[in-house]
Amino acid sequence: MNPITLHTDAQTVTLAIIAVALPFAAFVVNFLLLGKSKASGWVSTLAILGSAVLSLNVFFRVWDNHTIHMQQLWFTIGATKVQVGVLLNNLSVLMLVLVSLIALPVHIYSTAYMKDDAGYSRYFRYLSFFCFSMLALVVVDSLITFYAFWELVGFSSYLLIGFWYDRDSAVQANKKAFIMNRIGDIGLLTAIIILFTQFGTFDLYELFKDGGLVAHSFFINGEWAAGLNYIPSVWHYIAFGGIFLAVAAKSAQFPLHTWLPDAMEGPTSVSALIHAATMVAAGVFLLGRVYPMFNEAELTTLAIVGCFTAFMAATIALTQNDLKRILAYSTISQLGYMVMAMGVGAYSSSLFHLVTHAFFKCLLFLVAGVVIHQIKHIKEDNSLDIDPQDIRHMGGLRKKLPLTFIAVLIAGLALVGLPLTSGFLSKDGILIQAFDWADGRSFMLSIIPIMALLTSWLTAFYVARLIFKVFFGELRLLKAFPSLQIHIGDGHWAYKLPLILLALCCLFPLFSLNPFSYETSWLYEAFAPKHAAEGQSIYHLVIPALVSVVSLVIIFCAYVLYIKRGDGMVVKNGLLFRISYNEWYIDRFYKRIIVKFVIWLSGVLYWVDRKVIDGFIHLLEKIGLAIAKATAWCDKYIVDGVLWLAAELVQYIGNFARRFQGGKVQYYLYSMLLAVIAVFILKLIWA
Amino acid sequence: MITLQHFMLVSALLFCIGLFIIVSKKNAIQILIGIELMLNAAILNLVAFGRYDRINNGGQMFALFAIVLAAATTAVALAIILNVYRRYKTIDADKINQLKD
Repeated sequence: MNPITLHTDAQTVTLAIIAVALPFAAFVVNFLLLGKSKASGWVSTLAILGSAVLSLNVFFRVWDNHTIHMQQLWFTIGATKVQVGVLLNNLSVLMLVLVSLIALPVHIYSTAYMKDDAGYSRYFRYLSFFCFSMLALVVVDSLITFYAFWELVGFSSYLLIGFWYDRDSAVQANKKAFIMNRIGDIGLLTAIIILFTQFGTFDLYELFKDGGLVAHSFFINGEWAAGLNYIPSVWHYIAFGGIFLAVAAKSAQFPLHTWLPDAMEGPTSVSALIHAATMVAAGVFLLGRVYPMFNEAELTTLAIVGCFTAFMAATIALTQNDLKRILAYSTISQLGYMVMAMGVGAYSSSLFHLVTHAFFKCLLFLVAGVVIHQIKHIKEDNSLDIDPQDIRHMGGLRKKLPLTFIAVLIAGLALVGLPLTSGFLSKDGILIQAFDWADGRSFMLSIIPIMALLTSWLTAFYVARLIFKVFFGELRLLKAFPSLQIHIGDGHWAYKLPLILLALCCLFPLFSLNPFSYETSWLYEAFAPKHAAEGQSIYHLVIPALVSVVSLVIIFCAYVLYIKRGDGMVVKNGLLFRISYNEWYIDRFYKRIIVKFVIWLSGVLYWVDRKVIDGFIHLLEKIGLAIAKATAWCDKYIVDGVLWLAAELVQYIGNFARRFQGGKVQYYLYSMLLAVIAVFILKLIWA
Repeated sequence: MITLQHFMLVSALLFCIGLFIIVSKKNAIQILIGIELMLNAAILNLVAFGRYDRINNGGQMFALFAIVLAAATTAVALAIILNVYRRYKTIDADKINQLKD
């Protein structure tokens, strides 16, 4: 904590809080005041514009400067004080700027893209809410609030995936995303609980700063020690497992990645913002936040999983036909790169790639949105029955959508990692450091950088396939339906402006003045360990050349395959093709094994509930009923009976005695006579 | 000859008849007759035992006194019966049960 809070620091924190709160204000205004009004789009856009400006301001105040950490007591439970506050360091301000800067063009684009949708204002409500949660997620300073916003981000993603809730597939997809994310959330919660048990604080800054609590903890005799606290070191691995699950769920890593391709059911602009650029990067951001915690074995696990995810997703992307699904798998693949980079210790390159990827993947999705929109126009103008996202219908759009074509070219080259683009800088950084890392490690681990390199070539192929199929050749729809009426174009400025802005951000000058060296990038330098040796290994020369040259060759191959010879050359029934086309059968495996098992288990539990627990309760109920009946009988016949008997007796005696008092003179006489006779008889008996 | 015992038997018989009439008859006049019979039984006893007091003739004297009293009470009783009849339009003892209050 900083005992002396400078005035300027307080100002910076205020600005950051306003930047976070603006989208929330837009959400509230849209929700309460505007109803279904079309103004909601502009309210949200203005709010995010304000956020972006303030974020940039905060960024320039904090970047490469000292860390600002301000907090306030929230509540106290026993001796535990829970603080709430803002932590602004390089990582958080970078994410703050990234999220608001990506969100701005997406908002502008959305005002045009969602114009004719019935849920226009609902869309902007959700979008503003998402921006608020995401911006808050990156600036909060405690694990508790981090977890809360982590959940909110997942929730708003859920809302937006299921935006068109009248489509069954969208509902299925958001359910799937939600459940997958729940698995990760449980992991994160576990990790938070373990960290709190060990260190007694939720404070991210105290825990993970240089020389913080985590840095001072160590392993001794199979125990994990922090101060005077000793717990078995297995807890450290469980905490890591929890964080890994959280990362895998949010950032779509291998065992939990299947929700992301399905999440493409949401509007394309949402896919661009949430499922490509920002929310899915939250997992990598979490890794960045808790990075000091991991030990060698855990980092290696991250590297293996990340590398495997990257490779697997790239192979799947090779054969998909749905435009957005290709991009979704490409996103998974790139996120795998980032996680792998974290694993091999390329912390700064990982974050660098996060930033560059956010820009070019967002751009790719916006382009996909334009293309899908135009194909939908053709479909509606000519009332065809086609899937507007299927790239097999497309082709030759280069001439119809010139600006879009240039944008996709830039983004595609950045994704492949060719020189002069931002992707070149960040991706080569990761690859070079991965090779450096594998040097001197076992043979098995040296497969990782090779797989990563292979993945980057696969990336080149699927990007080339996508662009050639969509933008080159002839429009295939025209072949199938020769009488089509086609009048499509780039659309109005709300489409063009975001594309231009993002395309500029995909080029190298924004990140580094030297287009061939990632180490001179300001972004890399800010995160790179200052004392690291300037490793000028052979890889610095070989890898970029290898990536670029082989990628170009592969792109040329793809050109030959798809343009010169048409589609016919591709083998469509090989084993590898089927594995790739069916997405490695992972979804099917989950459905057959896990979902079926869970349903079976719940069936069993239902049976147990119905028969055993309910049966037991019914038994108790019957016993209770029987006892109650017996008691009622006792009450009625024994307790009441005694009372009744007493009452009857009294009544009888009363009735009997009453007869003598009937008011008839003769009765009086009669009874008197009887009494006298009785006296005489008694006297005779005793006398 | 007629002994004291015979007098007492007649007297007891009269008393029982009177008593029976009192408890069994419904008519107030008959009840009054029963009362007179019982009274006469008592007077008969007084007269019969009067032979043990030949000097003062106390038994005879007391009997005379009782007869006068009986006549007076009978007059009163008849007056009561007359009033009862006026009030209730009946002299059936069963129907006159206002004494219970």
